[in-house]
Amino acid sequence: MMKTTIQEIDGNMVATLEGILDTAAAPETAKAMEPLNDVEGKDIIIDCTKLEYISSSGLRIFLDVLQHVEDKGGHVYIKGLTDDVRAVFAITGFINLFEFK
Amino acid sequence: MRQYRELRPTLEKLSEDAYGKMRQALSEQGIYVTAIEHRVKSEKSLAGKLELKGAKYKSINDITDLVGMRVITFYTDEVDKVAAIAKRIFDIDWSESVDKRKLHQLDSFGYNSLHYICRLKTGGPRFELQMRTALQHVWSTIEHDTGYKGIVKMPKEYLRQFSRLAGMLELVDDEFSRLRMVLTDYRRQIQTLVKSGHLNEVPLSTDTFRSFLETHPFDRLNRRIAAVNQAEIYPAPMIVYLPVLESFGLETLGDVHQFIDDNSDDAYQLAVSQLAITDLDILSSSAALQYLCLVYVLKHDGGRDELKAIYDTINGESDANGMVADLMLGQAQTLSFMQRSKSDGK
Repeated sequence: MMKTTIQEIDGNMVATLEGILDTAAAPETAKAMEPLNDVEGKDIIIDCTKLEYISSSGLRIFLDVLQHVEDKGGHVYIKGLTDDVRAVFAITGFINLFEFK
Repeated sequence: MRQYRELRPTLEKLSEDAYGKMRQALSEQGIYVTAIEHRVKSEKSLAGKLELKGAKYKSINDITDLVGMRVITFYTDEVDKVAAIAKRIFDIDWSESVDKRKLHQLDSFGYNSLHYICRLKTGGPRFELQMRTALQHVWSTIEHDTGYKGIVKMPKEYLRQFSRLAGMLELVDDEFSRLRMVLTDYRRQIQTLVKSGHLNEVPLSTDTFRSFLETHPFDRLNRRIAAVNQAEIYPAPMIVYLPVLESFGLETLGDVHQFIDDNSDDAYQLAVSQLAITDLDILSSSAALQYLCLVYVLKHDGGRDELKAIYDTINGESDANGMVADLMLGQAQTLSFMQRSKSDGK
């Protein structure tokens, strides 16, 4: 089960992801994250404190958000990665593409 | 003023149209400028102008700056490029256009700017186009602010101070242009050396590493690694690894080339040991370089701290990087190059 919440906190858009972001959960999560693509003039924080797993499809959602936000001159920060999820970022070489909080 | 008010909507449209044409033409020519400003003269400003110089104008059409556009460039030679573009996209009224850059006495400096009075090719009222560099703009703004050209005549010693500053700005402007030309030449030379394969003659720097990356030196290893999971390769910046390569003592692009040759097979082993047990089918284009760096450190007796230092460099210092270093170190222990390193050390 995946739960995605988006809210504005202290002038930033914060997306909180909870659960297992596998291939099955990716389409629904991608849809829930879509509003972030239209954000302008605000930084985006993806809170992964309660994200237990991420698949390639999940990584693609993160990369999609990053591309949209960077095109508009914004920043995407990732917060609270668990060791397992951090390992996926490292193994695939994406660890330096995101800014971690 | 009545004529002005009637003409105002036409002027607003002219201002937008002229701006749109200039912006499009600059973009097509690949010229990046600091700013393009455009405005319709305000009623208040026009009233002030008419109060001062009203007798000079017989009709509103005699006032050429009701619409004004200003293109501010980075470099002096770009002012001429913008002027060439203006000549192509607008009709220029040469009888009223001024190159103030050429008006100076040999012993004086000051306001440098190129002014054209233009008309759209489709006709309509005239407008003023000012073209200047960022530093000329600074000069002009300060000159205006200090009232240099005001009613009160300025004492000679202050005029001299102004001239000295203006001369300095002009010199700085020219030096920036000259420096850019020198750097462009240098980049061309380096690119030629990189293309011709004379890598040992090219010192490792941000510029040269960028040129080197244009030759896609890590593609082969990336494709090899990606093949393990039939992964897509996603483009990512690699320049962040330059300080890591420098910390290894690599001094030329030849050294980097050798570093790739010496470590590719072992980097492939390490990457496969991590990826083959997953179904991850997306890979950053910097993955090959990451694994090459990790392997280099491990083969040179580096341990957890040295691996963590790589991540601290590319990703900012953090305790979490220690966990990633542990992960890579743990997986590497079983690989053949680590066994070789151990037996070589005996």
